Amino acid sequence: MMERLDRRQGLLAALPITALLAVSFLAPLLLVALFSIMPQKVFSVLNMPDFSSFGVIVSQGYYRSLFWSLSMAFAATVILLVVCWPLAYGMAKVFGRFSLVLTIAVVMTLFVSENIRLFGWVLTLMKGGLIEGYMRSYLGAGPDGMLYNVPIIVFGLVYVYFPFMLFPLAQGISMVPDDARQAATDLGATRWQVFREIDLPLAAPGILVGSLLSFVLAAGAMAESKLLGGQVVIVLADDVETAFTFGQNWPLGSALAMVLIILVGTVAVVGLSRVDLDTIMGRKR
Amino acid sequence: MQINRRDFSMGMAGALGAATLAPRRAMAARDDQLNILCWEGYNTDQVLGPFRDLHPGATVRAESGTSDPDMINKIRAGEINVWDLINLNQPWARDQLYPENLIKPLDKERFMPFFEKMSPEFAKPYPLAFADDGALLGMPQRYGPFSFVVNTDKVSRETAEDQGWNLFLDPAMAGRYAVLTYDNWNVMHMCLTAGLDPFKPLDEAGMAKFKETAAQIFGGAKLLSDDLVALNTALINGEIDAYFTGGTYTASPARYDGATNVRAITPKSGPVDGKGGVVWIELTSLVNNPDPSNLAPQFLEYVQQPEICKAVSFAEGTYNPVAQMGNPETLALFDADELDAIQWDSLEEELSRALDYQVIPDYDALIDIYTAARRG
Repeated sequence: MMERLDRRQGLLAALPITALLAVSFLAPLLLVALFSIMPQKVFSVLNMPDFSSFGVIVSQGYYRSLFWSLSMAFAATVILLVVCWPLAYGMAKVFGRFSLVLTIAVVMTLFVSENIRLFGWVLTLMKGGLIEGYMRSYLGAGPDGMLYNVPIIVFGLVYVYFPFMLFPLAQGISMVPDDARQAATDLGATRWQVFREIDLPLAAPGILVGSLLSFVLAAGAMAESKLLGGQVVIVLADDVETAFTFGQNWPLGSALAMVLIILVGTVAVVGLSRVDLDTIMGRKR
Repeated sequence: MQINRRDFSMGMAGALGAATLAPRRAMAARDDQLNILCWEGYNTDQVLGPFRDLHPGATVRAESGTSDPDMINKIRAGEINVWDLINLNQPWARDQLYPENLIKPLDKERFMPFFEKMSPEFAKPYPLAFADDGALLGMPQRYGPFSFVVNTDKVSRETAEDQGWNLFLDPAMAGRYAVLTYDNWNVMHMCLTAGLDPFKPLDEAGMAKFKETAAQIFGGAKLLSDDLVALNTALINGEIDAYFTGGTYTASPARYDGATNVRAITPKSGPVDGKGGVVWIELTSLVNNPDPSNLAPQFLEYVQQPEICKAVSFAEGTYNPVAQMGNPETLALFDADELDAIQWDSLEEELSRALDYQVIPDYDALIDIYTAARRG
């Protein structure tokens, strides 16, 4: 009885902050959702809903931007998994104290704004920039500019979202008990088998969380395609911006945003329903 | 002193009460405040500093937007209570803000005399500073021809001016130019490239022609960017030879840094009355703030002084001619390098070949075609 009362009190005490969070997180989303079903080019949600924006999205070929956003995010996520795995493994199992140094080094990059870091890459990769300039000076010839293509955008995504894959992955790998790996080796498992049957399944929560974070962030990213890619392809976030600004079409911008939110939200919910977040937070073993 | 819980609660209640009252007091004191929403330049210390010194008790704040529509969104979204002045390109004031009562007319008696000291194009006075009903919507200051920019080491000024927009349709130029994604400008310039008059409604054939031209220009572009510094850099290091669109506004920072081979071009001919170039003119207007600040019209007078005109013209970021350079006192404040940066030598000639940036009647349909072409 007492316990139930306690729990009720906890709930009541949490009510104000829950309400605040609901208002600050959900209200903007709700407003976007409302705007997305308004007629074209209105600036108030007090109109008859007509869903015309979604028709425009289909008829005007916005699926191209959606395709580029999602496929580049997917490519970046896969590359991040492959690149981060060895480092994450080292941080979790091998480096010991040195992994703290690594953590600080990677986190430090987050102190500098994403745009500034990407500009750094522009100066490095552009024609007459660090790489091409030195190559031309020493070798007499250099690549004819490395910017403004799709692979360089994916590179930018990989670079920017590196920490968001690395840390969850390291956390996930640290949950793989060494005993299990040793036992598997003792029983004659090859390295590949240990990787596939011990490491991968036991580190799955970390893999999933890292992948989700990277994918969700990359799908909504715009700076990489703008700065490194010279908008050689247009991503959906870019279309959202154009609709809100030059298009002066808030409903269309909102509808485009909703499409991305719903797609990415579904991926996130399905993904998260498959892992036990408590496990990775270390509260339960 | 001992504070018990009751006192504390009373104190908190008092504080809360004061907090709810505070905004009302601030509103009554609006003559001690001035909030300016502007293109970059008006928000610098060179421009605001002397005004703050004149009004030591006032809080003078200016924020720069990144595009006309961005700034208009703020006013639309309810910040009409916040801002006192808005500085925008002229058609937005005429087409969107004034009809929607977001700005209010200026006192003609107070402001008309300033036109007399402006450059000849503005002294008449400048007709597009007025609404169709004759109201004075705002004061012009910065302006500039805006068509395209070339590296004159690669494409000579003569060639560029003679070829005009056809330069970008030349197959030899494919992959050698960039597009500056000031989308509302590009819609107009793509019409001109297609040989159409953007300021008249287009028929079906016109729309088809526009679509074809937009596809061709995006198809041949090496890169797109909304960052003029990135495009000037690409122009200087040889990544591109020209960019569509640009003008003194975008070329001047590079020119002032010594890259005088970066040059804004105004085509010699074009489809609208023989003209193919475009000129933008900013208007600074009074926001229809329900609680207006007296400092707003005072600031509009203040920026007409020669020293302040110079500061507005050569504020950070980009450098632009100002209408007040028609006053010899103002013009005398510019040195040769500064005049060269804003292409003063050819400015008058370029203006004579440029159309006023106006409302594009088919903008809504054209921007859809434009963004679709941009997606490829």
